Amino acid sequence: MNHVFAVLFAFGFGNLAMLGWLAAASAPLLIHLWNRRKYQETEWAAIEFLLAAARRNARRLQLRQWVLLAVRTAIVVLVVTALAEPFFDQLGMRFMPGGRTHKLLVVDGSYSMDYRPTDRSRFEQAKQLAVQIVEASGPSDAFTLVMMGSPAQVIVGTPALETGSFVKEIESLRLTHAAADLSSTLALVRKMVERVTAKHRRLEHHEVYFLTDLGRNTWAPATQDDPAGVELQRQIDQLSAQARLIVFDLGQPEPENLAVVHLKRNEPFTIAGHQATFDVNLRNFGTRPRLRQVVQWAVDDRPVGETLVDLPPGGEASVSFGHRFETPGQHVVSVQLSPDLLEVDNRRWLSVPVKSQLRTLCVGSQPQATKYLDLALNPTGSRQSPVHNQTVPESALSELDLGQFDSVFLANVGQFTKTEARLLVRYLRQGGGLVFFLGDQVIPSRYNALLASERRPGERVLPARLGPIVQEAQYRFDALDYRHPLVRVFRGQEQAGLLTTPVYRYFQLTIPAAWPEAQVALAFADGRPAIVEESLHGGRTVLVATAASLASVDPVTGNPWTTMPAWPSFVPIVQELLALAVGNQIEQSNGLVGQTLSAPVPAAQRGAALNLRSPDGQDHPVTVLTDSDPPRWTFAKTVESGLYQLGLRSSAESASATISYAVNVATVESDLAKVDSQHLPEDLLVETEWRGLNADPVGQISRRAGVHRMLLYGALGLLLLETCLAWRLGRSLA
Amino acid sequence: MAQKTTYFDPETLAKIQGLSLRAQHIVEGYISGVHRSPFHGYSIEFAEHREYAPGDDLRYVDWKVFGKTDKYYVKQYEEETNLIAYLLLDTSESMAYRGPQASLSKLEYAKCLAASLAYLILQQQDSAGLATFAGQIHSLVRPSGNPSHLKQLLHVLEQATGAGKTATGPIFHDLAERLNKRGMVIVFSDLFDRPESLLAGLKHLRHRRHEVMVFQLLDPAELEFPFRQMTRFKGLEQLDDVLTDPQALREAYLNELQAFLKRVKVGCREQRVDYTLVRTDQPIDMVLTSVLAPRMSQAKL
Repeated sequence: MNHVFAVLFAFGFGNLAMLGWLAAASAPLLIHLWNRRKYQETEWAAIEFLLAAARRNARRLQLRQWVLLAVRTAIVVLVVTALAEPFFDQLGMRFMPGGRTHKLLVVDGSYSMDYRPTDRSRFEQAKQLAVQIVEASGPSDAFTLVMMGSPAQVIVGTPALETGSFVKEIESLRLTHAAADLSSTLALVRKMVERVTAKHRRLEHHEVYFLTDLGRNTWAPATQDDPAGVELQRQIDQLSAQARLIVFDLGQPEPENLAVVHLKRNEPFTIAGHQATFDVNLRNFGTRPRLRQVVQWAVDDRPVGETLVDLPPGGEASVSFGHRFETPGQHVVSVQLSPDLLEVDNRRWLSVPVKSQLRTLCVGSQPQATKYLDLALNPTGSRQSPVHNQTVPESALSELDLGQFDSVFLANVGQFTKTEARLLVRYLRQGGGLVFFLGDQVIPSRYNALLASERRPGERVLPARLGPIVQEAQYRFDALDYRHPLVRVFRGQEQAGLLTTPVYRYFQLTIPAAWPEAQVALAFADGRPAIVEESLHGGRTVLVATAASLASVDPVTGNPWTTMPAWPSFVPIVQELLALAVGNQIEQSNGLVGQTLSAPVPAAQRGAALNLRSPDGQDHPVTVLTDSDPPRWTFAKTVESGLYQLGLRSSAESASATISYAVNVATVESDLAKVDSQHLPEDLLVETEWRGLNADPVGQISRRAGVHRMLLYGALGLLLLETCLAWRLGRSLA
Repeated sequence: MAQKTTYFDPETLAKIQGLSLRAQHIVEGYISGVHRSPFHGYSIEFAEHREYAPGDDLRYVDWKVFGKTDKYYVKQYEEETNLIAYLLLDTSESMAYRGPQASLSKLEYAKCLAASLAYLILQQQDSAGLATFAGQIHSLVRPSGNPSHLKQLLHVLEQATGAGKTATGPIFHDLAERLNKRGMVIVFSDLFDRPESLLAGLKHLRHRRHEVMVFQLLDPAELEFPFRQMTRFKGLEQLDDVLTDPQALREAYLNELQAFLKRVKVGCREQRVDYTLVRTDQPIDMVLTSVLAPRMSQAKL
């Protein structure tokens, strides 16, 4: 008996009013009766034969009429029922004794879901829809919840039977400003389905609901035939073998959106009192031109300028502005566009470290080794120069706190002790920049053993290993198409003499395959590397294959290794080396949503609990890696864009202060165009028409799942059967 | 040829008022078509010579005249009538049926056919009699060879109306007893009766050494059953009505009818009864030809 009720209540209709048309099912009967009443009359002489035929076939005639009547009535019933959008609650699975369903809800948490076409954002609509799915489900169903982001995040991993708490979890979901990673989401979902299958055997069926805007940047790969698309389609195939996949499309056609896609500082470092310039790129992702859009920029939250820009459909515009920071320290530059329906990407921040002076250290085997470097770093020799250089002999290296220098140049240092090597690694971990020039004093085996060991990557300092000295005179550099930022400034500046810099001796540098990050910035004409650089341990290290002075000479001929220090290209090269070495500093204080923030713990804060305040005002304890030298703090949950502020403990001299870290959105989600759901794999059942119907999305799914289609196919089959029956039975009476 | 065909077309005949005119129309048309009477019989007294025509019996070629004139002549004799034809016309209610495609009812068609044969027979100085019947014999005209006898025959034919229930078996038995002189019995009927009874009656006639010729007349609608709409078929001859979907019953009906026709045909053949199924939309000359042509090749009807 219970089963009977279960069946009755498991069945429902999306459009109940249509059932009124079931009255039309009586039409065949009425037509039949009407035909019996409406007939022609004729006299008939051969009535005996007609009577005999009627007598012999009375039963078959009657049966035929009943069958045809039943078939015709069934056709009407099936068509009307199909139009009434029928569905089986639990997708018909209640009909199976003990059949229970695990429903895994995947809510798209990428920032494109913050698009607000009405008073509610897509994300709010997704949450409401998720709640509706839960509430429309059966009491024996269980639910899990995943947030699709970068990476995907499990919110409820253990199947929840109690819907109240599960709904609260849905309602407490907060949108991230990350992009969606479909591949990792599918992998995670598959893992969860497998785990639930293994641990909860009574949950026999699985349904995965994707509540997403079907953003082209996320879903388009699944429609393409490239390797990434094939891999996604394979993932979907595998998942569909285990679960039904239903996609609720929350996107809108032709959405409009403007975004600030780039904000960058043009100089490698910023000095207080000197003008700094910034470039901003804006983009119109919509289909309508956007004219006279207001762009404002601010420094430390104080507006300092604005302009108007016109943005053509799908086009970009650039804005440049300058600002002179009067005080050193960490400053924040931000740019904001006029509000639109998606505001997350209308603002961008840049945390700018401003120095009173850039401090460099030159370490040389002898004073001659660093003489030209000192000149090149501070050509004017002025104390007001942006760069203040200190020169020390190599013996003083271990006595200095390298952390006070923005960059350290090491010239023709013969060898390093283990202590010195550790210091250099520590310096890199603090975000420092090291530049090595070689020379006649250098012992390559010591360099390789202590600074370029392939077996101890954590102690590595150099971006390449030193090989034998090459004595073939080289009179040309190969700028490698000026691709590297280090030499980009020389493009079109042949008179600077970069390419014709004479080099007579140099170390042959080799980059092991295990160091893929190392890049050749400049090469000799024979293809061997001349300058190799690498971001390492959070800092940057640069290795120049030859000497920085004329003091390194060939012991046989007495000729210098190179006359580069006297060449016009030397000063710009050293300046660019400095820019490259300190360039990492700004990267340390800026990042994208989803990336881990990490920095050395300031010396004054060691031992104290550090808190990071996220843009929503919440304080988060940060993880401090004490086994690192120096200790570093890290914070991985950068789910929102904005400023993250590291609180600094107040000292006797100063009140508490903060260091700002800017986290911006990766603008890939700013393109709100949708993928064409027709091109998605067939295993994904895409539901696009759910909005017009307030209740019971599960019913909608079932309808879309083909219940109505099956009924229509049934009606079509009966139509054919009716024709066949009418013909065959008519003949069979013979 | 087209003009000839119209002579016998039931549609054309339907436009001609009066059975006498219809019969004359048919016979004159027919004779002018074949140029030769099928009713030449044996004769004793020579009458005249006639030029030979293809199809003439070579036995009557006068070889003496051929020897003299090198031309073929056949001898014609004064006929001595030895044929008595009894025309039996079914006038039951079922014979009055005329379907939607037919121009004449079965009875009207049968009257034309009977009148035509009577005309032909009397023209050949043979004797013709007539009986009309349904459940009983309505009228009986004794055979006579007098040309004025045709008028009486036509009058009786014209007076006949379709009414009553058929009872062919008893009627044939009755007539077999009444028709004393041996002759040819020509039946015009749809034969809608029990086959056993019908065939028993015919058998009786054959037993009395009559030559029997049966024209079974059926309306095209009866043979094809072309109805499509729901129809109430009102039974004639006091039979029940049938309300049915004609399309559903068509094949079953046709099977029943064919079984009946086959049984009648086989029964006639077994009793050496000359049987002809006539559709009332068929030109009458075709019917006459199909019946009389074999007889024309014989010497005698």
